Amino acid sequence: MQNSSPPKGKGMQKVMAALEGYLYLLPTLIILGVFVFYPIVSSFNLSLTRVAPFGNQTRYVGFENYQRLFTEILEGGDYWNSLKVSFWFTLGTVPTGIFLAVGLAIALSYPLKRLSWFHRLLIFIPIVISSAVTGVIFRFLYNPAVGYLNYWLTFVGIEEGPNWLASKDWALIAVSIAVVWRQLGFNVIIALAGVQNIDGTYYEAAKVDGANMWHRIRHITLPLLSPTLFFLLIINVINSLQTFGEINILTDGGPGQATTNLVYAIFVDGFIGTPLRGFASAQAYLLALIIVIVSIIQFRGLGRRVNY
Amino acid sequence: MSSIIDDETQVAAPSEKMSRNDWLLQIFLITVGLIIALPIIIAIFTSLKSVTDINANPYNIFPRDWTLDNYRTAWNATPFGRYLLNSAIQSGVIVICQVLFSILAAFAFSFLKFPGRDLMFYVILGSLMVPFQLTFIPNFIFVSELPRNCMELFGESAEFCSSLGANSYFGLTVPFLASAFGVFLLRQFFLALPKELYDSAQIDGASNFRFLWQIVVPLSGGAISALGIFAFLGAWSQYLWPLIITNDQSMRTVQIGIRFFLFDQERGADWGSLMAGAVIVMLPTLVIFLVAQRQLVKGIAMTGLKG
Repeated sequence: MQNSSPPKGKGMQKVMAALEGYLYLLPTLIILGVFVFYPIVSSFNLSLTRVAPFGNQTRYVGFENYQRLFTEILEGGDYWNSLKVSFWFTLGTVPTGIFLAVGLAIALSYPLKRLSWFHRLLIFIPIVISSAVTGVIFRFLYNPAVGYLNYWLTFVGIEEGPNWLASKDWALIAVSIAVVWRQLGFNVIIALAGVQNIDGTYYEAAKVDGANMWHRIRHITLPLLSPTLFFLLIINVINSLQTFGEINILTDGGPGQATTNLVYAIFVDGFIGTPLRGFASAQAYLLALIIVIVSIIQFRGLGRRVNY
Repeated sequence: MSSIIDDETQVAAPSEKMSRNDWLLQIFLITVGLIIALPIIIAIFTSLKSVTDINANPYNIFPRDWTLDNYRTAWNATPFGRYLLNSAIQSGVIVICQVLFSILAAFAFSFLKFPGRDLMFYVILGSLMVPFQLTFIPNFIFVSELPRNCMELFGESAEFCSSLGANSYFGLTVPFLASAFGVFLLRQFFLALPKELYDSAQIDGASNFRFLWQIVVPLSGGAISALGIFAFLGAWSQYLWPLIITNDQSMRTVQIGIRFFLFDQERGADWGSLMAGAVIVMLPTLVIFLVAQRQLVKGIAMTGLKG
């Protein structure tokens, strides 16, 4: 040991190099540490507390908030409602969004001599529209007096369109349409990248074998696209679980609680009226758990070939 | 993947001769494209209609008489100028810091060697797994209490403390000043630069910092501007955080401003000025889309992320 110890200058250099390395990382590490990693712990601690009524005293209540959530699930209370809303919203938006995106990507991938930049411009444009603007524009489109949507429905024979945002049966569908629209540009881009990654020789070979266009899509494009489809599935499930802006502007979680999804319930409990930050944090923790499980499935799936 | 926005793509059934199908596909894609862009087109045209035109012919997409009245109404009814200024500052600060901090971290990850480097990279990547819904309540409490804690530390007279909490630019931006996505994106790019550059800079006795600013950054303009665009779009469109961290009208961003304008305005159902407001809010991002569509689409296709 004593013999092989490096000369002092070199050890010093090593320490300096390490210091320099961490100096470059410092701003990123501080911000992520304070605003991403530390809240993982503080959020959990918060979820074990409750603000006593008629006072600002926060007190430790153990897993009481979680117990309340599970009771609500068993008894069909508010939390059960927001789980259901998130579930139906995900089921409504994700397959629709992926189906539209893949269809458009296949159509867009055909080599057209003219105007392909123009098609792409129109189809990609929702990627730069915020959820607030989406909410405001769709609120206009859904308006029962001057909105376009029910007017268009008269062309297909529906004289009395639904009162989109005020009806318990239609509000969630109305929000879903707006969110599918905003996500479409992003989904088409991912799907198109996947379609264009497929080796053209497969299609040549299939054509020699006399496969028609539908067969080529069914037996070449879709199977070879499955890693992309999987990626789209995961990313869209996560996005749909996190939807907030459109709901806040279109329905404010209503009518009743028809569009109060998991995120919206956290917002309402944590920030509206008497804030129940502990109870809201417990919900946030459970939602994060669902999202993390979905993303772990994604990381595992990425390593595997999902092709065939 | 790189061919996603180029016209000469080698894809499904290329050499086939089907001019009739080509023609049908053109019509199909134009129709679909117009349907997708329709909400934006309607918003723009409605904002240019007069109030009487909207009420008399609500379902004519094109204005009968073009007017900017709605923009004047919207601008006077609510402080859009202030909202735009707030959003510009908020987005500007976030973009500058994210780009700057990502350059520094990505440089360390791709050129320097030090113990714990790879572990730190995975830690930073791991932050992408933490959903915002988990962090925003403790962050809200942390930022809201910052002025009080600051005064306890520096004394009641420390004036800068009051500019750290809710309703401040600091509070609006601070949780988003670093970006794991940005570090990841730039690291990928820096790793592709030839290692000889670094070796020869070392031989010339240039410091790491000088090498970064004089060689690496100038060579990475494309990647850095792509990150800047993504950071801007993400910051400009933010909703939940600015909604909860501002309750003072003078600190609202445009996205929150349009929300409150909607609920003020809707009692009068003045959709013309509401759509004018929506156009004001989306105009900067639409311009960026028209100018930088290529980089945007490429970036999304390559990373699978929106920033």
